[in-house]
Amino acid sequence: MRPEQIVEATLFASQTPLTATELARADGSLDVEVVGRALAALREQYEAQERSFQLYQIGGGHQILTRPEFAPYLERFDSIPRSPTLSVAALETLAIVAYRQPIGRVEIEEVRGVSCSSVLRTLQEWEVIEVVGRGEGLGRPLLYGTTRRFLDHFGLESLDALPEPEELPVTLQTEPIEAPATTIPMLAERQSARIAGTTSW
Amino acid sequence: MTQTSVESIAGRGALFRPEPFHVELERFQGPLDLLLHLIRAQDIDIFDIPIARITEQFQIVLSEGFQMLELDRAGEFLEMAATLVRIKAQLLLPRQEHVEWEDDPRAELVRRLLEYEHFQEVAHVLSSAEAARARHFSKGHLEPRPTPALQDMELEVTLAELLDAAARIPEAQPEAVHMAPIRVVTVSEKISLLRRLVRKAKRLAFDKLFKPWGTRPHAVASLLAVLETARQQVIRIEQAQPFDPIWLHATDAGEKEESEEE
Repeated sequence: MRPEQIVEATLFASQTPLTATELARADGSLDVEVVGRALAALREQYEAQERSFQLYQIGGGHQILTRPEFAPYLERFDSIPRSPTLSVAALETLAIVAYRQPIGRVEIEEVRGVSCSSVLRTLQEWEVIEVVGRGEGLGRPLLYGTTRRFLDHFGLESLDALPEPEELPVTLQTEPIEAPATTIPMLAERQSARIAGTTSW
Repeated sequence: MTQTSVESIAGRGALFRPEPFHVELERFQGPLDLLLHLIRAQDIDIFDIPIARITEQFQIVLSEGFQMLELDRAGEFLEMAATLVRIKAQLLLPRQEHVEWEDDPRAELVRRLLEYEHFQEVAHVLSSAEAARARHFSKGHLEPRPTPALQDMELEVTLAELLDAAARIPEAQPEAVHMAPIRVVTVSEKISLLRRLVRKAKRLAFDKLFKPWGTRPHAVASLLAVLETARQQVIRIEQAQPFDPIWLHATDAGEKEESEEE
């Protein structure tokens, strides 16, 4: 069997993203390097053959997913599971956790200016955040961080795929920043280009 | 606040009109969200917020929508209203011509607004990433929807399958009724009882033999026992005249037999 075939079979049968190391376990002839080449070869094959699916990188792992242009057909089937979406409050809270993790509830509430306990509960139920430790100070508050499911839910390869703080309006430290809003459209373009990219986010 | 600056806004700004002043309070995430909206909607320079005007607008929005809010949410808005009033008061105090930005009473509020705006932007990015990710489907990776309850599903079977299924339904078990077993009364048992009694009493009233047991099996067995023992000449049945009590007497043979048994 060729490495591409082994890797393809393993990815086909897997329900979760698999890392190159995990894929290499399928056979003694495989190592991370061979798997990497096989993945690239498969990607090219799928592209050349115009397959309805492609290899995507999510949360450090690889997964076969359908291409976005086929979503309208799949959405017609109740039997095909689809991902629900988070509320604005949940997204805002999650954004703060993603950038400031590990972070406690009080610090999140200071940023949002509103109570966040129920939102944090929802995010925990969605398994996009988890308790990663306890902070210093009164009552040893719970600290939250994002999970691998968070990366999967947003199709992020890793936390580094989140926009850099300088790409967004930066928190004011000592001096006013000139026209902070101008970075926003640029970021949106960058992000959409990243999302529309053929093989990875 | 002028008519033109407000009308030029797009998107959520449509919620905000100068006359009558109308903003749906419950549609905002919180006081910071509302403040940012007021600032954006009027093209206000965030580093030079006209605090008096913003405070007034904030209070109007608050007074109009306050009743709709839950208690904790109302508290969050009130806290911000108090902060705005405090900043307004500080600005009224005499100041030097040139103040450092850090010394501006508005600095902390602006820092919070920009920080919050930053995360609102991140939330937007996440939202579009979420939508993009939702257009990719994996092989049953997501939690499948709960299967509908059996009774809600449409029946798709042939008559033969239905009959087959019906045949496999186990027979209904009869309802359990607790019944004490009836003790079987034997004639021989009554015979030995009768022998014991006549040996002790020499003479026994026939009807006494039936009294302790009112049931038919006992009566039948007792009568048969009497007849049998009489046939064996263990007892003798006597009645002085019709309708008189019937007496059972032990016979000599019976007594002899009994002594032999002992």
